[in-house]
Amino acid sequence: MDKFDVIVVGGGHAGVEAAHAVSRAGMVCALITFDKTKIGQMSCNPAIGGLGKSHIVREIDAMGGIMPLATDMSGIQYRTLNTRKGDAVQALRVQCDRKLYKEAIQKIIKQTDIYLIEAEVTDLIIDKSFVKGVIANGKEVKAKKTILTTGTFLNGLMYTGSEVTKGGRVGDDSAIPLSKKLYDLKLPMGRLKTGTPARITMSSLNLSVMEEQPGEKPTPFMSLTNQAQEHQKQMPCYITRTNKNTHKIISENTHLSAMYSGNISGIGPRYCPSIEDKVFKFSSKDSHQIFIEPEGIGIDLIYPNGISTSLPKKAQQEFIRSIEGMENAEITEYGYAVEYDFIDPRTNKKTLETTFLKDFYLAGQINGTTGYEEAAAQGLVAGINATLSIQNKDPFILNRDEAYIGVLIDDLTTHGITEPYRMFTSRAEHRLLLSQNNAEQRLLTKAYNLNLIKKERYQNYLKREEAYKNFVKNTLEKTKIKTFLNKNNDTVTLEEKRSLYSILTRPDVEENKLIKIQEDEKVFFKRASVEIKYKGYIDKQLREINKNKKQNNKKIPSSIDYKNISGLSNEVVEKLTQSNPETIGSAAKIEGVTPAAINLILINIKKLELQKINA
Amino acid sequence: MSVVFALATPPAKSAICVFRVSGHGCLDKIKQITGCELKRARTFYLRSFLDAGGGVIDNVGVVFFKGPNSYTGEDSFEVYAHGSLGVMSLIVDVFKGLGFDEAPPGEFTKRAFLNNKISLNEAEAVVDIIDSSSRESVYLSSKSLSGTFTDLVVGFSKKIDFLRMGVEGEIDFSDEGEDFLDGALVGGLKKIVVDFSLFVDGCVNKKHYSSKNKVLFVGPVNSGKSSVFNRLLGFERALVSSVAGTTRDLVESELFYSDASFSLLDSAGIRETDDLIESRGISIALEQIEGADVVVGIFDSFDKNVLNKFSKLTKGKKYLTVYNKLDLGPPNQEVFDCLVSAKTGEGFGELKNKLASFFKVFDRSDYSFLVRDRHISLFNSSLKCLKDALLKIEEGGGLELVAEDLRLARGFLDEVVGVKTSDSLLGDIFSNFCIGK
Repeated sequence: MDKFDVIVVGGGHAGVEAAHAVSRAGMVCALITFDKTKIGQMSCNPAIGGLGKSHIVREIDAMGGIMPLATDMSGIQYRTLNTRKGDAVQALRVQCDRKLYKEAIQKIIKQTDIYLIEAEVTDLIIDKSFVKGVIANGKEVKAKKTILTTGTFLNGLMYTGSEVTKGGRVGDDSAIPLSKKLYDLKLPMGRLKTGTPARITMSSLNLSVMEEQPGEKPTPFMSLTNQAQEHQKQMPCYITRTNKNTHKIISENTHLSAMYSGNISGIGPRYCPSIEDKVFKFSSKDSHQIFIEPEGIGIDLIYPNGISTSLPKKAQQEFIRSIEGMENAEITEYGYAVEYDFIDPRTNKKTLETTFLKDFYLAGQINGTTGYEEAAAQGLVAGINATLSIQNKDPFILNRDEAYIGVLIDDLTTHGITEPYRMFTSRAEHRLLLSQNNAEQRLLTKAYNLNLIKKERYQNYLKREEAYKNFVKNTLEKTKIKTFLNKNNDTVTLEEKRSLYSILTRPDVEENKLIKIQEDEKVFFKRASVEIKYKGYIDKQLREINKNKKQNNKKIPSSIDYKNISGLSNEVVEKLTQSNPETIGSAAKIEGVTPAAINLILINIKKLELQKINA
Repeated sequence: MSVVFALATPPAKSAICVFRVSGHGCLDKIKQITGCELKRARTFYLRSFLDAGGGVIDNVGVVFFKGPNSYTGEDSFEVYAHGSLGVMSLIVDVFKGLGFDEAPPGEFTKRAFLNNKISLNEAEAVVDIIDSSSRESVYLSSKSLSGTFTDLVVGFSKKIDFLRMGVEGEIDFSDEGEDFLDGALVGGLKKIVVDFSLFVDGCVNKKHYSSKNKVLFVGPVNSGKSSVFNRLLGFERALVSSVAGTTRDLVESELFYSDASFSLLDSAGIRETDDLIESRGISIALEQIEGADVVVGIFDSFDKNVLNKFSKLTKGKKYLTVYNKLDLGPPNQEVFDCLVSAKTGEGFGELKNKLASFFKVFDRSDYSFLVRDRHISLFNSSLKCLKDALLKIEEGGGLELVAEDLRLARGFLDEVVGVKTSDSLLGDIFSNFCIGK
């Protein structure tokens, strides 16, 4: 093949999602990776989903992506978090069999016509400011669009105590020549770090003294598309805790930790501190929780979530063995911190195409994010937009009120990052609109119009929506009753008969005892009751969104020079110049940019337009 | 763009007041406001202005303009209502209920410019307006502000941030084994609601205090108080005739001069009276002396007894004596602070300067900048959200709805204390709780 439509560099979660999206849309795609057998590898803990993240995975699912499919093909424990809170903030977390997950991804990729190339990419082919392809193992590979998803492999360095190893993951090389090349381009780059804990054999642990956490029953699915399939054998997780003795050992060795020795310049995530950080910063706490995640069925290995570390090996072994149930722990791989390069994501457009080179896209950790889900979402966005650009179609950009993916891309490209970026539900101001359970209602039509899902799935969806509407109309609005049970199990008698719909608006009603619902309509009933509960809030949010829509979508021309706008404070000028927001809506979200500043910008845009007409 | 409205006339009692409304979709609401459709643009219709429940607030004139043939270039309409403060506030309520926003300074002109209705030169003037309003808002940004008032608002916003930290932590990190709420949410929220309510009530009082700047005109019957009053305003406000005791109730109006604004109160003349209605007017005047900042005594002649009597009445208030009938010749004693003639306008420049000088001190007080109607309405909206949050907890509603109420409550304070970004909130969570499995 002398020319591909799209080349994807990297076979991690961003890379495979990008390549698959390109191929779903009927484009010819090449995926270049160091090592084919590592495609779809989970390099951190073996779990997909959780708060803010399952929301993203369900959105990927609605766009026809592959992460949710592989999750269900390898899931060994499912739990819905926040069940005592409302629908919008409930999240499914799935423990996966690390090996099965990778195999599932590789199987899905093999079923497509994606060309797999095993090679190291060392350079980009640049013609003027256009990227025309890459140099892989010394040979030119050309394409209309290139997507870079290098993860932690750009100039990756691993630290354990005073030991430093080159690489982005244990046992793998790092991409130093490519990293140098990007530095030569004088891009705004920085360094981040993250860490992992030691891996321990399961057979060496005394699980009987730990708290067992079984999966949820009936076992749900991450993907809404292949629910007919069987689950893998389910396994429990376990919880144990550090103790005073553990903390003492860690404190005594903290000065030996790579992170405290001053060797690491990268910024680590505040929400994922190493155990030495936790002990140091929260010295008043006697104990920290450790979540024991099995690596898979028939794999004698666990991932002890909560004790990531870069202490020397001896200290790691000592503190781990001080923990209840881990007294005889056999460590197969020691924890380490990994430091890697990222490119300031504010240099990307919302399509994830860079502004410094054309036909060139960045997705995943290279943009400063962390997490499989965040990476996959970016891969999807980059893949879709590369395709659309080849087809000369309008770009695909999700708004903040449409999807967590929209929040993710907007945050990255507008605000940039100060630490590895992870999604949380609190980042989404329109959180109540964005449930993990309504991703299809939000995105399926878009996906269908982009050719990302099959017609059959879309038609089934439309039928289901119709059935839901009928359920609300025929069952909830037409059925009228006079008495119902409240949450205290007392009978409430109304003055006159009211529809189920209006009774569901009451906060005191015990929904589960309101009426007998047929099994196949239970999902509808649950959905209706959520929609009714949220209605007032959602109406308020929609009003807010619509009110500012036109103004927010107004494009700021790239020729604008904030320095020349009189009345803007220096601080605001600096922030706007740095973020270079694409729209008024993005500009308004930057800290310190006041409504008055927005008015000034609007007036100046108009001025520029007028000058253009008069010229 | 969204629909905005503004009171185009000063927010003071006057014969009529004019509201302007502009923005896409605003014309659809006229039917709701007046109960019937208006057929022709640029035509004056007399209609009833209805509240949300369909009750009549006032009989008003309504004219609508179809964009682009309007000042702003958008669909817009104007309402001419009677100029009572009560009517104005009811109309504002109706507009807000319809989802209209109060227009910030310069908004109509800005829209006119953006819609190609006015030239660039005119628009530069708008920049100045916006610029000046943002300069003014510098006083409101937490960095440059001192003064107990803003400290208090910042304090409340921090308390809300603190509650949000717990609530958002509990939502986003519920699997971390941390106790984010510590059972303190309800107690904390109740305390904020109580404290904030007290504060907002206090604001209203302070608002009265700061906008008081009250100048009361007193004087013997028929000394020409109302004539002086009208001359100061530049137009006829109080009913003036040469029949003694024409001004029965207090007449209030507003005067802007030299960046001070005064509330002028014209009182009935003070004399022994048998007329019940007028004697009521006089007792109001005596009460008003209590609430006035400056009392202006208007006299048409020098009479030592009368002057002493009024001096006593003012009870140590700032007091200005004005001789009115300068056109008939100067007084026979030089005891007056000011000599004017309401008939010819002589001496009024000096009178205005003297009045303004009294208020320079007041206008620089801590509160006067801050407590505007707009802020009070923001505080009330914020307070309502806090109460909603509390109600949600008591009803056992989802924590995510409590979180939403708290987010909105904090959002209303953004304008005064600055935005709290989600990232900064997450930062607070990470530094206060040990997150990270």
